[in-house]
Amino acid sequence: MKRASVKVDRSAGSSGFTRRSRGNKTRDLNITSLIDILTILLVFMIKNISMDASQKNAPEGMLLPTTVSKNELIESGKAVFVKIYTDKILYGAENIPIGSLQDFISSQETRQSLLRLLQMEAKSIMAMHSQPCLLIQADKDLPCRYITEFIKFSAQASFANIYFSTIHSENKEEVLGI
Amino acid sequence: MAYGPSQNRTGSQQEHREPNLIPIMNLFIVIIPMLMTIMVSVHLAMIEITLPAQSAGGGNGEEAEEQVEDLPKMITLALFPDRFEIMVEGDKGVTEIPQLSPGRHDFVTLDKNIAELKLVHEKQGTIEVLPDPTVRFDTLLRSIDICKSNDFPNIKYLTALTKYYRAK
Repeated sequence: MKRASVKVDRSAGSSGFTRRSRGNKTRDLNITSLIDILTILLVFMIKNISMDASQKNAPEGMLLPTTVSKNELIESGKAVFVKIYTDKILYGAENIPIGSLQDFISSQETRQSLLRLLQMEAKSIMAMHSQPCLLIQADKDLPCRYITEFIKFSAQASFANIYFSTIHSENKEEVLGI
Repeated sequence: MAYGPSQNRTGSQQEHREPNLIPIMNLFIVIIPMLMTIMVSVHLAMIEITLPAQSAGGGNGEEAEEQVEDLPKMITLALFPDRFEIMVEGDKGVTEIPQLSPGRHDFVTLDKNIAELKLVHEKQGTIEVLPDPTVRFDTLLRSIDICKSNDFPNIKYLTALTKYYRAK
């Protein structure tokens, strides 16, 4: 591979640079095609970009179910996130660990602390004249026992509006399993 | 008095000058990773469910009876690990939709049945969903989605009541 270099002749007169011989001519890298690709990429990305923060919060390590239909959060509603994995429960946007699912079902202490958290959150949301909404993000393999238990539990903490988080798809056949 | 073209101008016309693309490249190198980090690859959606309200009970006379007649019949969809069951208020029969193979529910038949129910009960916009505790969350949400896409926007999530009796 040839190395491109520019020689500066300090001893020369006003021009300063030595002329290259024809065989030593530098070949510039043609980046026009690269610019073309990058321009297409840029346009594609700008088209697909979404600035909605809630759209990005797909929980890590969780497989969400796919649905065609979708609902919007009620007007003046404020959502509280609960992530239910197959082995743990995380509370809020800060992902506060609550315990395992077994703890949630059987441990009175875990249930009490979660209930206190939910009640406090509901109270602070209602103080701002908003409606407390619970957004449940659960793994698709989770048995409904835990979901039912959680819904019953959250109703005790004044969460009347319950939402399930899913991945939105336009393809109904995907939902029907065809 | 007109001057002739300058030496510079004649020089630039003869010499083919390429635009300097390096600043544009620098810009692209910054913008593209930034957009890639904030780009949404999966679109999340929300599915709303409602909790069953406690019935007040009572009612008086003929007026109440007339109102009951006007009310659309309640439709309940029960989800079991091996089948779906659809019950319509007042009907004795239960529509059973068995699974296709172990662990594979028949969502296509469920979709057809729900669509047919909508044709019969046009005014009804609510379906009660009662999942078995062992049913997967995925099955529950697919069923809810099928109901919503067939113009049943309100889904009531039924939770089995647990009653405790204290021995005297």
